[in-house]
Amino acid sequence: MGLAAQKRVRTIISYCILGFWSFILLFPMYWVVITSFKNAIDMSIKATYMPFIDFQPGLHAWRYLFVDRLTWFLDPFMNSVLVAFISSTVALVIGSSAGYALARFDYGGRNNSIVLGFMSQRMFPGALFILAFLVMFRELGLLDTRLALIIVYSSGAIPFIVWVMRDFFEGLPVEIEESAMIDGANRLGVLFRIAMPLAAPGLVAVFVLSLIGAWNEYLVALTLTFREAITIPLFMTMQVSQTGYTEWWNMSAISLVSVIPVVAAGMALEKYITGGLTFGALKG
Amino acid sequence: MATEPQIYPSKRSRFEIRDNLWKWIFLVPAVAIILILLAVPVLWTLYAAFTDLHLYRIGDFDTKFVGLANFEKLLSNRSFWRTARNTVVFMLGVVPAQLIIGLTVALALNNITRGQKLFRTWFLMPLMVSPVVVSFIVGRMLFQEDIGPINDILRSFGFEGVPWLTSPTWAMVALMAIDVWQWSSFMILMLLAALQGVPPDLHEAARVDGANQLQAFWRITVPLIMPITMTALLIRIIDAFKVVEIIMVLTGGGPGQATESVTLAIYRTGVKGGDLAFGSSQAYFLLIVLMIFGGAYLVLTRRAMGKD
Repeated sequence: MGLAAQKRVRTIISYCILGFWSFILLFPMYWVVITSFKNAIDMSIKATYMPFIDFQPGLHAWRYLFVDRLTWFLDPFMNSVLVAFISSTVALVIGSSAGYALARFDYGGRNNSIVLGFMSQRMFPGALFILAFLVMFRELGLLDTRLALIIVYSSGAIPFIVWVMRDFFEGLPVEIEESAMIDGANRLGVLFRIAMPLAAPGLVAVFVLSLIGAWNEYLVALTLTFREAITIPLFMTMQVSQTGYTEWWNMSAISLVSVIPVVAAGMALEKYITGGLTFGALKG
Repeated sequence: MATEPQIYPSKRSRFEIRDNLWKWIFLVPAVAIILILLAVPVLWTLYAAFTDLHLYRIGDFDTKFVGLANFEKLLSNRSFWRTARNTVVFMLGVVPAQLIIGLTVALALNNITRGQKLFRTWFLMPLMVSPVVVSFIVGRMLFQEDIGPINDILRSFGFEGVPWLTSPTWAMVALMAIDVWQWSSFMILMLLAALQGVPPDLHEAARVDGANQLQAFWRITVPLIMPITMTALLIRIIDAFKVVEIIMVLTGGGPGQATESVTLAIYRTGVKGGDLAFGSSQAYFLLIVLMIFGGAYLVLTRRAMGKD
């Protein structure tokens, strides 16, 4: 077999592997989409696979979610939106300022140790925190509030943001900032008018990653909230335990509503997100 | 012109004083938040692990120090060892599977040009989905025993339906499948980044020198992607040790205690049961295991790669 033929065989095998894994990833997503259009009858006797062919799709789950029970679903949805956006914004401002400072100032030669100190948080299991948080926020009277989740999620995102953004700022040319300062700008102006705009791709990546992290978080939300401040993941499991895995179509519709925004955002910003995700290991 | 040198130094030093102020204003909030919200819980949990603290007795002044009693209870607790064993089994199941899938798919992805970006974007999808939803969609719906599609397809090929959620062994397999579905993408993207860092001419040169495809792969590609692979593996191992959310949604730790992980046990004793002291000692046990393991892993891989 010649080299060209060998290469063609390799390419074909590669596409087969990629197609197979894509299918494995696609099937559950396909399943939840069609289930959200199913009726009770389509799930009582045997599995049904193709809309219009082996079952008649209906909109009743979507009507249930958006018309009948909108208010009931809207509260956790808004909680998730507010908690995710506010915590990520706070973490972005505080974390990237610190990242900038660690890139531009000298802290007695200990900059690397400070960054490592931030990152050591990754090693600690979440289980170590939930007990202390439970007691802490109970004493503060903040149980079942969005504020508690915002505080926890921002502090959880800061170390990662400091780490990534410090590296990002270090890669930016220092000369522009220096000439701006000679022209009379102060550091705050330099950070917000010059450094931050130049670092926009990095900022977008860490912001979206912390947004997704907060949006999907479950263990802390389960520990700290129970009625007023519940987020979507918690709401979903509460629904499941109430209906006992019978209303698959409604659960599928809720799943889709909760998944689509973050998946769409993540995939649209793929370039930055993959960079942010793989960043840690590529440096190590 | 003559006055310039006199004004300039004072202006300069005022700038420096202010700049020095910014130096701290930028850093202190982040450090303060991390100290309060990360260091305090870590120390508080350590304290709690040596007391008889209980959630419903907080504020009592007779919280006693009990020394190592919680840890003694832990080591002699069969239920805890069961959860430790479950966690290790889970880790040993998912991490190698993710490595194999990750390497296979990343090699395929590195081998093509047309559509590479499309596949890369698509493979990012599972990482964006919350573990609760993954566990619900993949787990509860697909592994449903009577009308779930997996059993349905198995039956149509003449096999028996598998008791996914009622058999201890199969429930663990289902959990592993969920984790592999979600996190293989992480390995794929990491290993792809590693493979793209391998200079193609090095590979060509080896082929020209008479090495076959397999030799070139083992001698050139593998050593070059080793550092990133090792880091990616460590990240996945640590995450697998912390598994909890998918278990809560899929099996709740059951049947019996067959799929309960250490973190789920900590949640159950500490948060649900209110036994903060015993929960804290379990959390510290997990932390110590992670630190010893992580440290040993780093030392061993550094040494192994140094020798190469």
